[in-house]
Amino acid sequence: MKLRLKWLFLAILIMSLLIFSLSYAQNKFKLKPDAKGKLCLSCHDNFKEKLKNQFLHTPVKTGECSECHNPHTSSHGKLLDEDPNKICNKCHEGIVPKNFKSSHKVVMEGNCVKCHDPHASKNKFVLLKAGNELCFDCHKNIGNAVAKVKFKHNPVEKGCINCHDPHASAKGKHLLKNDLVVLCLSCHKTDRPNFLKQHMNYPVAKSDCSSCHDAHGSDKPGILFDNVHTPVANKVCTQCHEASSSPTPFKTKRAGYELCRGCHSSMLNDTFNKNRVHWPLVDKVGCLNCHQPHASPQKKLLMDDMKSLCGKCHIDTMEMQVKLAEKEKQEKAASKGNVIKGALTHNPIQEGNCEACHVPHASDSTFLLKQSKIVELCGTCHDWLKHTSHPMGEKVADSRNKNLRMDCLSCHRSHGTGNRHLIPFPTITDLCVQCHKQYKR
Amino acid sequence: MKALRQHSTKRIVHGLTIIFILLVINLFSPLNSFSAETVKLKYLQSVYFDDKGGNLKQPEGVACNEKSLLIVGDTENDRLLRYHFQEKSLKGGGEIKIPQLSNPIRLQINSKGEIFALDGKKRRIIRLTPEGAFKGFVDAEGVPSPSTFVPRGFKIDGNNNIYLLDIFTARVLILNPEGKYQKQIPFPKDYGFFSDLLVDSKGSILLIDSVRAMVFSAPKDSNSFSPTTKSLREYLNFPTSITNDIRGTIYIVDENGGGIIILGQDGSFLGRQLSMGWNEGFLYYPSQLCVNEKGEVFIADRGNSRVQIFTLVK
Repeated sequence: MKLRLKWLFLAILIMSLLIFSLSYAQNKFKLKPDAKGKLCLSCHDNFKEKLKNQFLHTPVKTGECSECHNPHTSSHGKLLDEDPNKICNKCHEGIVPKNFKSSHKVVMEGNCVKCHDPHASKNKFVLLKAGNELCFDCHKNIGNAVAKVKFKHNPVEKGCINCHDPHASAKGKHLLKNDLVVLCLSCHKTDRPNFLKQHMNYPVAKSDCSSCHDAHGSDKPGILFDNVHTPVANKVCTQCHEASSSPTPFKTKRAGYELCRGCHSSMLNDTFNKNRVHWPLVDKVGCLNCHQPHASPQKKLLMDDMKSLCGKCHIDTMEMQVKLAEKEKQEKAASKGNVIKGALTHNPIQEGNCEACHVPHASDSTFLLKQSKIVELCGTCHDWLKHTSHPMGEKVADSRNKNLRMDCLSCHRSHGTGNRHLIPFPTITDLCVQCHKQYKR
Repeated sequence: MKALRQHSTKRIVHGLTIIFILLVINLFSPLNSFSAETVKLKYLQSVYFDDKGGNLKQPEGVACNEKSLLIVGDTENDRLLRYHFQEKSLKGGGEIKIPQLSNPIRLQINSKGEIFALDGKKRRIIRLTPEGAFKGFVDAEGVPSPSTFVPRGFKIDGNNNIYLLDIFTARVLILNPEGKYQKQIPFPKDYGFFSDLLVDSKGSILLIDSVRAMVFSAPKDSNSFSPTTKSLREYLNFPTSITNDIRGTIYIVDENGGGIIILGQDGSFLGRQLSMGWNEGFLYYPSQLCVNEKGEVFIADRGNSRVQIFTLVK
C-alpha cells in the first residue's frame, strides 16, 4: 500500500513538473493573462496602424510578441530572441524540403524579410509586395524582359509562382515546381494537331522545351529564344535530324562538328587551317560544347554568357577571377576612398569578354590568342608606349631565358596573379630585380 | 645492478636486431628504397638550341628511351629535333623536318626506335623511321564505325601496341604495332575533357581529365574506365599530360599551374614539384613529360621555349 502511494506521489510530481515547464515555455515572461501584445502596444503605439492590415503573422495576431522578441535583453537587433537569419526557422522549419533540387538564395541565407513582413501586410503570406512585382524587385532583368516582350507566356502574366516555388523545389531546377517537361505538359497537350504541326510531327513530348522556348516570353513567335538557328526558324529539322517518321527521329545525321560542317564549311575550313584548334570543337559533342543547336538568348547561339561558358571547363581560371574580384572589393573598402595604384583584375576577363584576347575556335598562336605578337595584342587596348619605356619586342632578349623576347607577358599575367599590376611578384621591386639583379638588396 | 645492466644490454641487442632486419628488407627491395614518396626533381640542364644554334620555339612534345635518345617536338618550328643525353651531357640536335609533319605536340618512341608524332594541326599521327624518314600515318585500319577518329593523345606500350585517345568518338582505340584495330574502350559516363593517357607496365590504361582534374583507369582486359582519384584540384590547376616511370610512379603535368604532380601507382597523391617561372628550374605552361629508365626527366617547357632536363632524386 505504502509502495503504491509512493509511486502515485512520484507520478503526480512528474506531471506537475511537466505542466509547469510547458506553461513556462508558453509564458516564459510570466505575463498577466491580458498583458501579452496589448502590453507591448501600450508603448509601441504606431504599431496599431500596422495591425489594421488584412494579413497578420500568426504570433502578431495572437499577441505573442515574445515569440520573436525578448522584452528585456537580447544579443540581436530589435530585441529579437534569436539570430535574425535563423529565427523564422523556429516555426517554419519545413519550408525547404530535405532533398531539394534547387533553392532560393535568400531563403537559404535566412533572409526571409526580403519577401515577407514579419508583422503584417496587405498581401497574402504577409508578402511585402503582391504578385510578380515582388519577384521583379530583385529579378529586374526578367521583369524588364517580361514587360517588353511581344509574345507573352500566359502563366508568367498570372504570376511567377504558377511555375516556381519561391522557397525551394524538390522536383525541379530553377525552383520549378516540377520537372520542366512535366510542368509544360500540364498545360500543353502534345497530341493536339496544332502542337504536332508546329513541331513538324517530331515526338517532342519528352524533349527539353527550354532548348527552344523562352518560358518568360519572347519577341519571336512561339516564344522561341531571340536567336534562332536558321534551320529551326525555317522548320527544316531534317537538315540535321533524321525524319520525324524514323524510329530514331532525333538522331543527328552526322556526329560532332561533321554535322555542322554541312552548312558552316567555310568557318570550319578556316578553323582547321589554323595551327591550333580548341580541342572541344573536335570531340564527340563538338560545336554543341558551346553552342545551342536550336535557339538561345545569347548571341551566336552560345549556351551561356562567355564567363560561365568558358568557366565550365577553365574552372581554375574563373575561380581565380572570383577570388581576385573579392580581394579587389575588400582592398577597396579598406582603402577608405584612397586611390589604390595598379589593377588586381583584368577587365575583359572580369566582364566575361574572353574574346577580347582569345579566338574560341582556332588560332595560329598558343593560348588561341587573336594575335601572335603579345605587344600588338595588348596594344589593341593598352597604348603601352605611353606608360612604359621598358624595351620590348623581337630584338629585346629576356635575360632570364635565352629563347624569350621581352613582351607584356614577361612581367604581367593577363588573368591576374593576386598582386597589383597583374605582376607575379608582391612588389614592383621584386619583379624588376629578377632581371636587374644589380639592384637586388 | 648486474640485472639492470643485463636488461639494458638485452634492449640494445633487440634494437640492433630490428635495425638490421630493416636494413636487410631495404637491401632486398630496391624499388622501395627509391620509393615515390621521396621523388624529387633535381635540375640538370636546359635545351635551347638545335645543332646549328637555331632557337627552339614553344616545344610541346618530348620522347625519350633507354638508349639515351631524346626527341623534341619543336612545335612552332614544325620540326623534330634529335638529341642524345648521356652521362649528363647533351649531344646532337639534328633537325627532322618533313612536309608531312607540322605542329608536333605529342611524341613517342617504340622499342624499334621508330618515332611517332601527333600533328596538332592535322590531328593525325605520323610514323617515322629511327632515322627520321616518313614511314606513314597511323590510320587505325579496321576501326569500327564511326571510322572518324581524332587523337588528342597517344601512347605506345612495351609490345609496340598503339593506344589512341580518340576524343571524337569518346573512346580509347588499341591498335597493334602495325596500326591495325584491336580493341576499343569507351570513355566513362561522367567526364570533363580527356587530354592524355598512359599505359602502365601491367597493361592498365589511365586517362587524365583536365576539367575535372581526375585520373580514370581501366585495368588490362577491362572494357570500362572508373575513377582512380578524386578531384586533384587542390593540388593542380589544369592537367594536360600524364606519364609514368619504370617504377610505376605517375607524373601529371599541370599546364596552367606550371608544376608536376606525382602520384603513386594507386593514384595516391605523393607531392608536387616545380613551380611557375622563367628562370631555369621553373616551368611556364609546360606540355609533355618523359622519364627514362635512368630516372632522367625531360619536360617540354613550352612557354619558356626550351626543354628542361631533371633527374629523379631521393
